[in-house]
Amino acid sequence: MSTTRRHVLTALAGASLASALPFSAARAAGIAGAPGIFGKRQVKIALVRYLSTGDFFQFYLAGVTRQAAALGIDLHVLDSRQDAALQAEMLAQAMNMGVDGIILQHGLTETLKDPAARAVAEGFKVVAFDVNCENPKIPQIEQNDRELARLSLEQAIRDNGEAFKAGYVYVPGIAPLDRRDETWQAVKKKYPKIVEVARWGTMNNPIANSVADQTAAVLRANPDIKMIFAPFDEFAKGVKTAVDEAGLSKQIKIYSADISTPDISAMIEKDSAWSATTATNSAVVGEVCVRSLALLLAGIDPGREVVVPPTLITQAMLAEKGIKNMEELAAKIPQFSRAEVAMAPWIPEPKR
Amino acid sequence: MQTPSSVQTSPAPEPRRVSFSLKDFVIKFGLLVILAVMIVVFWRLEPAFGSARNMFSILQAVSVTALLALGVTVTLAIGGFDLSIGSTAAMSLMASSYVMVILDLGTLPAIAVCLFLGLAIGFANGMLIVKGRIPDLLATLGMMFLLLGLQLIPTGGRSIAKGMTLPSGGSAQGSFTETFLALGRYRVFDLIPLPVIVMIVAAILLWVFMERSRYGRVLYAIGGNEKATRLAGAPVERYKIAAYMISGGFASVGGMLLAARVGRGDVSSGSSLLLDSVAAALIGFAVLGAKKPNVFGTAIGALFVGTLLNGLTMLNAPYYAQDFVKGLVLVLALLFTFGFASSNHR
Amino acid sequence: MNSDTVDAVRVRGLTKRFGSTQAVDSVDLDVRRGEVLALMGANGAGKSTLIKILCGVHPADSGTIEIDGRPVAFRSPLEARAAGIHTVHQLINDGVVQQLSVAENLVLDEICRPDGPRMLSRDRIHAQARDIQAILGLDLPLGRAMSELGQAERQLVAIARALSHEPKLLILDEPTSSLSESEASRLFEIIEDLRSRGVAIVYISHRMSDIRRLADRAVVMRDGRWRAEFAAPFDFDAIIHAMIGHSVTDGGRVAVPGGPVAMALRDVVLRPGAEPFDLDLCEGEVVVLTGLIGSGKSELAECLFGTRKPVSGRVLLDDAPYAPRDPGDAIARGVHMAPEDRGNSSLVVDFSVRHNMTLPFLSVFSRLTLVDPERERVAAEKQSGDLGIKCASTDAPIVSLSGGNQQKVVLGRWLLQPCRLLMLDEPFQGVDIGARQDIGRRLRETADGRATLVICTDLEEATEIADRIVVMRDFSIVGSHSIEGISLDRLVHQMTSVKSATTLA
Repeated sequence: MSTTRRHVLTALAGASLASALPFSAARAAGIAGAPGIFGKRQVKIALVRYLSTGDFFQFYLAGVTRQAAALGIDLHVLDSRQDAALQAEMLAQAMNMGVDGIILQHGLTETLKDPAARAVAEGFKVVAFDVNCENPKIPQIEQNDRELARLSLEQAIRDNGEAFKAGYVYVPGIAPLDRRDETWQAVKKKYPKIVEVARWGTMNNPIANSVADQTAAVLRANPDIKMIFAPFDEFAKGVKTAVDEAGLSKQIKIYSADISTPDISAMIEKDSAWSATTATNSAVVGEVCVRSLALLLAGIDPGREVVVPPTLITQAMLAEKGIKNMEELAAKIPQFSRAEVAMAPWIPEPKR
Repeated sequence: MQTPSSVQTSPAPEPRRVSFSLKDFVIKFGLLVILAVMIVVFWRLEPAFGSARNMFSILQAVSVTALLALGVTVTLAIGGFDLSIGSTAAMSLMASSYVMVILDLGTLPAIAVCLFLGLAIGFANGMLIVKGRIPDLLATLGMMFLLLGLQLIPTGGRSIAKGMTLPSGGSAQGSFTETFLALGRYRVFDLIPLPVIVMIVAAILLWVFMERSRYGRVLYAIGGNEKATRLAGAPVERYKIAAYMISGGFASVGGMLLAARVGRGDVSSGSSLLLDSVAAALIGFAVLGAKKPNVFGTAIGALFVGTLLNGLTMLNAPYYAQDFVKGLVLVLALLFTFGFASSNHR
Repeated sequence: MNSDTVDAVRVRGLTKRFGSTQAVDSVDLDVRRGEVLALMGANGAGKSTLIKILCGVHPADSGTIEIDGRPVAFRSPLEARAAGIHTVHQLINDGVVQQLSVAENLVLDEICRPDGPRMLSRDRIHAQARDIQAILGLDLPLGRAMSELGQAERQLVAIARALSHEPKLLILDEPTSSLSESEASRLFEIIEDLRSRGVAIVYISHRMSDIRRLADRAVVMRDGRWRAEFAAPFDFDAIIHAMIGHSVTDGGRVAVPGGPVAMALRDVVLRPGAEPFDLDLCEGEVVVLTGLIGSGKSELAECLFGTRKPVSGRVLLDDAPYAPRDPGDAIARGVHMAPEDRGNSSLVVDFSVRHNMTLPFLSVFSRLTLVDPERERVAAEKQSGDLGIKCASTDAPIVSLSGGNQQKVVLGRWLLQPCRLLMLDEPFQGVDIGARQDIGRRLRETADGRATLVICTDLEEATEIADRIVVMRDFSIVGSHSIEGISLDRLVHQMTSVKSATTLA
């Protein structure tokens, strides 16, 4: 009995080792001419994740993986699946494993602050994506939410002028949405003739569905709305559904943030109300995270904040280049597929 | 293996007894041996696994699960089941955050409120089962859903963080106290996390209670034969309610430690607690051939799961492989308990 | 004539071993067509194992079975049934499905047959069930759930089902243990009818009265072996001698006079419409409460133990009003009871002998709520020794003990602490004669200083231990007899209120 069990365990351990192999075997001796430890030996890093399900996070992991492979890094992925306490424990475990550097991907400030500070104090190099560890020694990699909102709203003003009645979809208390909200408030202040006649929003699952129900009611009450700002693609999806059902797709334009293949399909539909969105390619963010950590490990300061610039994507651009999915988007809009951030001559660009 | 003896009058031949005791050994120590083998294998594959710090990491990682599992062990001992432990812990997490962050009260009120809520939930479970005559599984399932919703009502469904906007329009003034956070984060001698000590003390106290005190004996008797225990004069209803209160109390302590670790009233924390702790308690059935819920086994079961997950994480196994292995261990442990047990009788 | 005496079943050299226990040891057995063979033996003698081999539950290690001269080897109970061997097991709840209706239980074999009909119509099931009922002359409510029936009725359903297959060999394991006198006599008539039709019947029972009434031959087993064979009319002293190795001492019993009244019942009404009655239970006296099934014996005991409330009347314990809220309260007042059906009502199956014994009195063995295992062990071992409990140690699991020894553990439990009234409800069910005598002896030895009430349906068992026999009928007490010069005819008359034809005397 126990023999068979041991067999199973060994087999599983073997299988998991094998999955780690492509990285560890790549360049065990280090990169010739690279500064710091990269020139001497293979580097081992850990990605400690809080969020992992959904397109955004799959692309992010793909970016991390290929940049790590390009640098010959031994990458360990520790996935806490939205369990804050577990993420803290996994951070400790990464330290126990003796990695050189750690990427913290999302999480709760309150939970990560102390253990992250401890890691820095013990000499680990740490970078954080979209979670503020309140530590000057931990570079913050961010997609710029204010910039994201600004680009979309500027396009809206270009399309609709400086005076129109607007609807706004918003749920307070969610950090990126709160940052995008700051920009919206600023724009309204700057252009007093842009009037927010209605505000709604919900995070009830399925989000798009719930938002669609709300939007239908709002449109009945405010048939004169010309533009809807829905700075989260799930919101935008719901709004578009309601607009289509109300037969208003030619009267109303939707501006949003984030992008995915289904979003692209919705935007390129005939007479789609979804005019523009602004997005950061999460795969690029993943690459930037690894490069920032690599700089830090090589003794080069990547800066307190590393901002990955967003890209405006309009209906017209998609139509012009015949883009139908994320892969084509990355291939045909160069500024979406790579970012000139945290670069160095000795850091090879990954194969995309 | 056994050759039929041609001599009718010969007593039981020697090899028979040896093979019999080997089987006993496997039933009794099989799981512990596997745990030891597992530790050695992980250690050989990843030397960092065996460091003292990593050992305490494992213990810290299982401490909350283990506390909940200890509680559920008591309800399993009376032949019941408490499905509401996970949401009781989450309730305690939200309640402690609410008391400190929104009401701006101190550590002791937060602890008192959590303990009170845990015991009250247990009492409510017990009353539903004893007086409402709802089967244990269903009553606590109902309670689970009820709590999942209830804990979100005061904050309108949002996580509780310092400075958050309240539904009333103002912002939260309070914050987690340092003392409370220390419950989840302080390390004795800069090595042993406080939750580990809480877990070990709780396990020892509960072991004495269940295995050595007359109350524990009666709880086990209720699980073995409720009618006979009632006819032996025990106030069975009160014992059952008490069992669910113990379970609720342990879950609320687990929730507090979780809150101290997370440092925020996070709505998604603790979602995996129920299944992990039930798995730990069930694996515990197979430890030392107990074949019944038992405190020591539950502690080992929690350690078993923690060790496995820590080791597999170090070996870069993806999370779904870890779930798979966890399930595999549980099924094997149940086979040890039930499969071997029945073939041991005639 | 000649064909009537042909062996239907011929068993030669049957052997079965479990671990180090030789359960059945080269047994030869012949059962002839048209005869009732009583298979006798104390608990653990190997009867059950022999039966289980015959009906296909266990394979034999060696030996042969022939049916009508053809050798057979059953791999499953299904094969045994197909060959015409049908069994009604003692544990009746193993043989019926509580959740199904009475009709479905009666035709269960038909429903479960692999090649049986796919769709089941209620009418068809009820029609078949009515036919099967008619065999036993039963009139059970076919649509009711089995769980709503009493033990006796469940037993009858199981027997009827076995009879519906017109078995070649019918094995009945303690079939009357939960039947009333009239139900039993109906069963006897049916068995006699089957015998006249040439069915071979193996009848297992501890009840000498059943065997005297029915059996043509009796085979006695002890320690897994064939010991002796007897033909009717039986010499029961010799049979008992063969079973237990020594004969029952039945020196003319003398009643012990009762001391002061411990428990007094006045104008007690057990259920609406029942006659009020009085009863005095005196110190030092062993009172047996007897009556048919459903006559209210257990209900009376339950009232005294706090699990039931009488409709009206007063109960006095040592002249003080006594109305226990629950068993805990009763025990605190010094009223102990070992309820009927020890497996379901007394024993915790996964506990050891010792833990089973001390369960009600843990506070006595505890210091600061922690149980002192040493004091517990000493007390349990004293009871074990006094009662002659056969177990490896008091640490042994209760399930490793035979029925008789389990019953001794239950008695030992209630003797751990002194009490004012000790009640035992059917303590001899499934208990072999040796253990029965041990229990009776111990009951007598400890009887001073308390009242003792034993509920017992079997009159032979009752006369063995009683100083006084109290008869219940229709939830009221209809007679009280000192054991000296007792007339069993009169007892039976009072129990049934008709002149009983059964010969119990």
